[in-house]
Amino acid sequence: MSDPRYDRLAELVLDHSLGLQAGELLRIDAEAVAAPLVLPLHREAIKRGAHAYTALNLSGLKELLVAHGSDEQLDFVSPIELRELDAIDASIFVWSESNTRSFSRADTERRQRQLAAQRQAAMRRRDRIASGELRWCGTLSPTNAHAQDAEMSLDEYEDFVFRACHVLDEDPVAHWAGVGEQLQARADELGAVRELRIVGEDTDLTVVVEARTWRAAYGRKNLPDGEVYTSPVESGVNGTIRFGFPAVFSGREIDDARLRLENGRVVAAEAAHGEEYLRSLLELDEGARGVGEIAFGLNYEIDRFTRNILFDEKIGGTLHLALGMGFEDLGGQNRSALHLDLICDLRREGEVYADGELVWRDGHFLQDPQPARSVERVR
Amino acid sequence: MADVLVGYCAAVREGDLVTLESPTHAAPILRELYRKVLEAGAQPLPRISLEGLSENLLRYGNDEQLAWVNPARADDIETVDVRIVLEAPGNTRRLSNIDPARQARQHRSAEHLRARYLERAAAGELRWVLSAFPTEAAAQDAAMSLAEYEDFVFGAAFLDDPDPVARWHEFGERVDRLATFLGTKRELRVVAEDTDLRLVTEGRTWIGSKGQENFPDGEVFTGPVETSVEGEIRFTYPGVFIAREVDDIRLRFEAGEVVEATAARGQEFLREMIAMDEGARRVGEFAFGLNEAVPFFTRNTLFDEKIGGTVHLALGTAYPETGGLNRSALHWDLVCDLRSGSEVYADGELVYRDGKFLNGLG
Repeated sequence: MSDPRYDRLAELVLDHSLGLQAGELLRIDAEAVAAPLVLPLHREAIKRGAHAYTALNLSGLKELLVAHGSDEQLDFVSPIELRELDAIDASIFVWSESNTRSFSRADTERRQRQLAAQRQAAMRRRDRIASGELRWCGTLSPTNAHAQDAEMSLDEYEDFVFRACHVLDEDPVAHWAGVGEQLQARADELGAVRELRIVGEDTDLTVVVEARTWRAAYGRKNLPDGEVYTSPVESGVNGTIRFGFPAVFSGREIDDARLRLENGRVVAAEAAHGEEYLRSLLELDEGARGVGEIAFGLNYEIDRFTRNILFDEKIGGTLHLALGMGFEDLGGQNRSALHLDLICDLRREGEVYADGELVWRDGHFLQDPQPARSVERVR
Repeated sequence: MADVLVGYCAAVREGDLVTLESPTHAAPILRELYRKVLEAGAQPLPRISLEGLSENLLRYGNDEQLAWVNPARADDIETVDVRIVLEAPGNTRRLSNIDPARQARQHRSAEHLRARYLERAAAGELRWVLSAFPTEAAAQDAAMSLAEYEDFVFGAAFLDDPDPVARWHEFGERVDRLATFLGTKRELRVVAEDTDLRLVTEGRTWIGSKGQENFPDGEVFTGPVETSVEGEIRFTYPGVFIAREVDDIRLRFEAGEVVEATAARGQEFLREMIAMDEGARRVGEFAFGLNEAVPFFTRNTLFDEKIGGTVHLALGTAYPETGGLNRSALHWDLVCDLRSGSEVYADGELVYRDGKFLNGLG
């Protein structure tokens, strides 16, 4: 007996995120453990007249490659894969894993080497996405591994995921379209702001965002979704910030990170746990000490930390900064191999000022967005 | 098993591109195969399928979707050096309620892919091996427990032998001797209960099958002269094809074509398959099963066609390397037990009785 929530999430991805059309070529990338969502995704895509197929992975295979592959095998890029990427119209990633820590003990250099080999395909994909030839969406099918990270039973975790995706709303597509309008208005409003100041526990940070474009994320490329984000002015971040939630990066955790920034660069970094790892990440390259993203998480169905960035960065009432790579299309100029999201909980003691005016307190913007103030609508 | 599949059957070499094609149920051996392929210095390309995907397409696809061939899989067939294909069903009857006409249409659409890989294999550009990973569904079809079925599979593959590869070499010599002997004959006649069938194999090549392309293995096969098959045959075992079953099939041939086809159950499906295309009503393969470690029927063609003491014929496409000319989207192996009350004559001389070749050939 299939769980209708999986069917509804599949329909939402196809109809809202991708707008999949008859005759289009859709590839679904997933680990086999994501079968409960992959099957309805495929079925609903077939029903919509698309040519749908899966590229399935099995837990443990890449781990074997990293552990036993020669340099040549680690560097291998499948020519078949590259040709595939040129042919598809739409791409779904189901980011479900059977074990979120399977690379914990892998040799870091070999793992980096294998990841670097995947970059060629990733770049090709990025170019086709940028030119509008390829649409994509990333989502998740609940697994025990993710439930375990979230400290929930699988049943509880399923409830959490499907609530966050609003698949049980009467009309999920209408819900996300509504979120889109609301977040776009918020993004337009923030687009007129010169400087933000964030005040919270052990936090007082000013961030210049003048002339940068804010983007609304409302379920097109991620499900669940719900954030507005931009890349701040590179030299315009000053002060201190404490990140209440652990950051999880490449399967490793950094707890309670505190940063001091001067002119957009991290000048001091501490963490209760994983401090050395944090410092090694900051040394990764020139841009790793800069800020690539600032964003507000606005999905209030996501009310707790679950060790999965797809959800955590959208927790309603939080703010996140990313160290490293910025968004070129939003005006961001910071470049780095790193993009480390760090989440600051503003739900209890948080205040945000926009050009000196209090606009946010305790996890909420104080007013509905005021589109009249927008200088320009960007879509 | 992974060792033998990679080292002996597919003979994977450094630099080979190797697809590992299997349903998710074979996960444990897939990881082993992946590792062995890496150790051989080759590049493993997993192609993992999920049971349920084909049902989605067969149930909900329109004609255009049923006819669609994934260009990425066509690219595989054109590009890779080795295919290792595993059966590992979760449910062997999952397609029982699908409209057979839709199944036939979808099956036809992939014909040129099958033809192309057989062509590349015959030209020596592509090695492939089909094997099976034991699952509960396959054990259920064989009416065994999973543990018993595992013993059966590994026994049939000689994996219980201390040196399985040496055993396959030795077995291969016997199979090759039979192929040489049969190659000297012009016409065969098979006589058994409700069966009297004649076919000409003159000018065709008999091939000994000894663990390279099927694993386990054990048969000699050829493609008979297309117009030569005459008479009747009653298949003692059900015909099992694309996750469906047809019981007690009887065929009558005239000038190489099926002119009458009946079955106790599944007749509609049988007729739909035979009507698939021009070549589907002709014989593409005739073979003797020679593996004594496969003593009984398990509803899986990979094993059943190797049962020691049986013959099988396949309706549909011939293997190009036999000289067989028949081409079809179909290749359906049907097995006939000859272990009691049966005889085979070669050019009028009795050469086989009750499941064994005579004159020390068996």
